[in-house]
Amino acid sequence: MNKITKLTIVLGIVSAIAGGVLAGVYQMTAPVIQAQNIKELRAGLSEVFPGSYKFEEFKGTLNSPDPAATFGKIYLVKKDGKLVGMIIDVTTPGDQAPIEMLVGVNKNGTINGVKILKSLETPGLGANANNPHYYVNKEKKITFLGQFKGKKITDPFVPKKDVIALTGATITSTAVSKGVKAAGVAAYDYMNKEAGS
Amino acid sequence: MKKLKIIWNGIVPSNPVLILAIGLCSVVAVTNFVKNALLMSFAFSFVLILSEVIVSSIRKWIPDEIRVPIFVVVIATFTTIAALLSHAYFPAVYDAIKLYILLVVVNCIIIGRAEAFAYKNGIFDSLLDGIGMSIGYSWVIIAIAVIRELFGNGTIAGLRIMPQTYQPALVMILPPAGFLVLGVLVGWLEWNIKRKEANKK
Repeated sequence: MNKITKLTIVLGIVSAIAGGVLAGVYQMTAPVIQAQNIKELRAGLSEVFPGSYKFEEFKGTLNSPDPAATFGKIYLVKKDGKLVGMIIDVTTPGDQAPIEMLVGVNKNGTINGVKILKSLETPGLGANANNPHYYVNKEKKITFLGQFKGKKITDPFVPKKDVIALTGATITSTAVSKGVKAAGVAAYDYMNKEAGS
Repeated sequence: MKKLKIIWNGIVPSNPVLILAIGLCSVVAVTNFVKNALLMSFAFSFVLILSEVIVSSIRKWIPDEIRVPIFVVVIATFTTIAALLSHAYFPAVYDAIKLYILLVVVNCIIIGRAEAFAYKNGIFDSLLDGIGMSIGYSWVIIAIAVIRELFGNGTIAGLRIMPQTYQPALVMILPPAGFLVLGVLVGWLEWNIKRKEANKK
């Protein structure tokens, strides 16, 4: 047997064993991980819409009014079978990497809650957007995300005007505000068309 | 005594970060907060110790020409196992370390130790070398993280140490300070070693 064949066989055997072990571990952990993901998603959804609501995945698509904001999954929020709000998974370009967030919108056109799912902002500056102990309004203990609660979607959503910006992180503040606004407008339009028909 | 020396070797004389100076990119990345450094230490130790043991136990069957690809396969396998297990059973931990666990696979300390130690030594010695190197890596990154978090955020492992009026030096938790603190530690250790040598004379 020449050398190259021997080497190929040895490397093949090692890779096959490694592959087999990985397949085994994957089989073992996949159902647990999937259950974990569903639980996490539910926790995220009920964070932007706390209380006893039913969440349903929205089958259609909504167009984002802002080209910088892209929509992922969309959920309908129902209470006693009636549509009361929507949750949109929005992604906007952040300072270093895209910021993905869940935005809960009430049928009456106010924001119900915002939760950041993924972000890679600068620690100490933009990352404070997601810090539950960093208050943009220290007296009232309002966090950066907390300030969106109850905000009308007809507001301009511009940092340093109607949105309190994070110190030294205008890009992050703008990215989050844009995402919230886009989701709010799109969800409100859809829900009101639905009510009209 | 000789066995203890193998462990001690990784902690100070051949410390992977301060003396060998390998795998520094992940050191800078994870040392901004103590929690990150701790989690990285766990992921690192798991992969390093198991990889060294496996590489050492199959070293007689590894043809010299393809040893590096085989090391990579072994290391990547353990990294993926660590990622899957922590994702399934410690989701909160996984959330915090998923970025770093991927850094482990490209960490040159692990491939370096597989090549320099496990490939040439017995299983038990390789286990000890893995433990020593893991302790050596962990204490350094945790020490750097303590310094950076204390000055950059006023806390250690999330506990407030500095008074509320302390204005955190933000640069300390940004990447450049990783190099600054690392450099100071390397200098401090070198100074100590040189001083000891001088005293002996």
